[in-house]
Amino acid sequence: MTSAPATVATPADRPAGRALLLRQRGSRGTRLPQPNSARRIHRIQRILYPLILLAALLGLWQYFASGMKNRLLIPTFTEVAGAIIPTLTSGEVWHAMWLSNQALFLGFGASILIGVPAGLALGRFSWLERTTNSYIDILLVLPMAAVIPLLVAQFGLGLFTRSLVVFLFAFVMIVVNARAGIRSIDPALVEMARSYGGSERHVWRFILLPGSVAALLAGARIGLSRAVTGMIVGELILIPVGIGHLINEYQGFLKAADLYALVALVLAESLLLVAVANHLERKLLSWKQ
Amino acid sequence: METVSVGAAAPAVADRPGGTIDLRGVGKTYVDRTGAQNEVFAGLDLVIQPGEFVSFLGPSGCGKTTLLKLIAGLAPYDEGSITVRGKAVTGPLPECSVVFQNFALLPWSTVLKNIGFGLRLRGVSRAQRDERARELIHMVGLDGCENKYPAQLSGGMQQRVGLARALAVNPSVLLMDEPFSALDEQTRGFMQEELLAIWERTSLQVVFVTHSIEEALLVSDRIVILGINPGGIREIVTPAFPRPRNRETVRDPKFGAMTSDLWELLRSMKADD
Repeated sequence: MTSAPATVATPADRPAGRALLLRQRGSRGTRLPQPNSARRIHRIQRILYPLILLAALLGLWQYFASGMKNRLLIPTFTEVAGAIIPTLTSGEVWHAMWLSNQALFLGFGASILIGVPAGLALGRFSWLERTTNSYIDILLVLPMAAVIPLLVAQFGLGLFTRSLVVFLFAFVMIVVNARAGIRSIDPALVEMARSYGGSERHVWRFILLPGSVAALLAGARIGLSRAVTGMIVGELILIPVGIGHLINEYQGFLKAADLYALVALVLAESLLLVAVANHLERKLLSWKQ
Repeated sequence: METVSVGAAAPAVADRPGGTIDLRGVGKTYVDRTGAQNEVFAGLDLVIQPGEFVSFLGPSGCGKTTLLKLIAGLAPYDEGSITVRGKAVTGPLPECSVVFQNFALLPWSTVLKNIGFGLRLRGVSRAQRDERARELIHMVGLDGCENKYPAQLSGGMQQRVGLARALAVNPSVLLMDEPFSALDEQTRGFMQEELLAIWERTSLQVVFVTHSIEEALLVSDRIVILGINPGGIREIVTPAFPRPRNRETVRDPKFGAMTSDLWELLRSMKADD
């Protein structure tokens, strides 16, 4: 610290150590470089504090659930923890996962294969966009769950219908994000490519596709979470197979702990899929610091 | 940035190789949202000599960028004819390279790949592209930046990448759309000098759009002043300062006088509409 004139607070007056570090942090946008000790403290806080919070929440759950009269429907944390291993090793749960995920794979795969080109085309060709705009808006606000009975009436209760439900849940989001991705590209880049003699094919390959990758991945992530929802909801509402079926069964038989364990398993799968998507995104978008 | 020493005086404009850029009776009309026709200009005639450095100057909306785009083949003209070195303009020509106001660099590519972009579109092999790109990186003074991304560069550096990309394809005509207006004043000054140095060494025809009177006077052989209401060429001014020019040229006594004259001209045009 440089020496200061007499009217300014001398070093002896200034608060030392950690308090000084906190003061220097300032607003979120203006972080000053911090010494290693501060960084270590923050890292410990980032890992430890959420764990403490989790333990507190689980403790509260256990406490209140133990005291509850209605033990059949609200299990304690220890009961759920105990139910997880049997759930993971039960053949019936894995069979259900297999059935449900078939629909997820087919439906989500189709929504990507059809939705991405559709969205890209809508972004690129404004006449196409003008034609379909109102229909897209309708699909955005339509509660897909309400449409399921219609689909079942038309196509029956098989894998096709379940895949179709997954497809419909995911499709609109993928299209809309692909469209936004194309629109977000600086038109000067397209003009630049043309000025160097680029054809429409060149424009797609070198400008439009690389430029919309971020939006496509965002759309895929959102679409994926909606697809998982569609997978479960379809079975819950009308088509008694797979995980949805098991959920109904556990609920019906008041197997609360198994139900919670099953939901935790589905959650784990979703988290895994999201983690894969995020990893892919980080690799493809390394240029965006 | 290394200074480029220029040896013998550059050959006179009329002696430089190449063909002319010929505009005859060129007209452009925009149809706006209400369906009304807005005529930007009509019956415009202009000849740009080989190796000449011409600026388009004028108030906002006079069509200087539009005219540049017509020459570049990026927008269609409604009447008349435009030929660049004997070829009629119906689309972008390989002879012409454009430098854009906001650089138009691919944010997901490195400097090396950006400079090689024009060559890539023409099917040049990777090895040759990279070699040529390295030459140009050296020419515009960006050594060491080969693997940087545009976001890591300052505005002046980004535009130097844009300039390098334009020069990489060996054009005979350089079309520049307010290339330095997105830069701060000091960087602008450096870039003007650098552009002049590069131009002295090559025999490019340059068409340079600007709204800065001083910039136009500094770099051009001729300044074409465009107007609004009515559109078209109002006047052509010839700043006859000796070449090679640099920032010192601004101190020439006639420079200040010409600047004032042009200000008056532009002010009077503004009063017209």
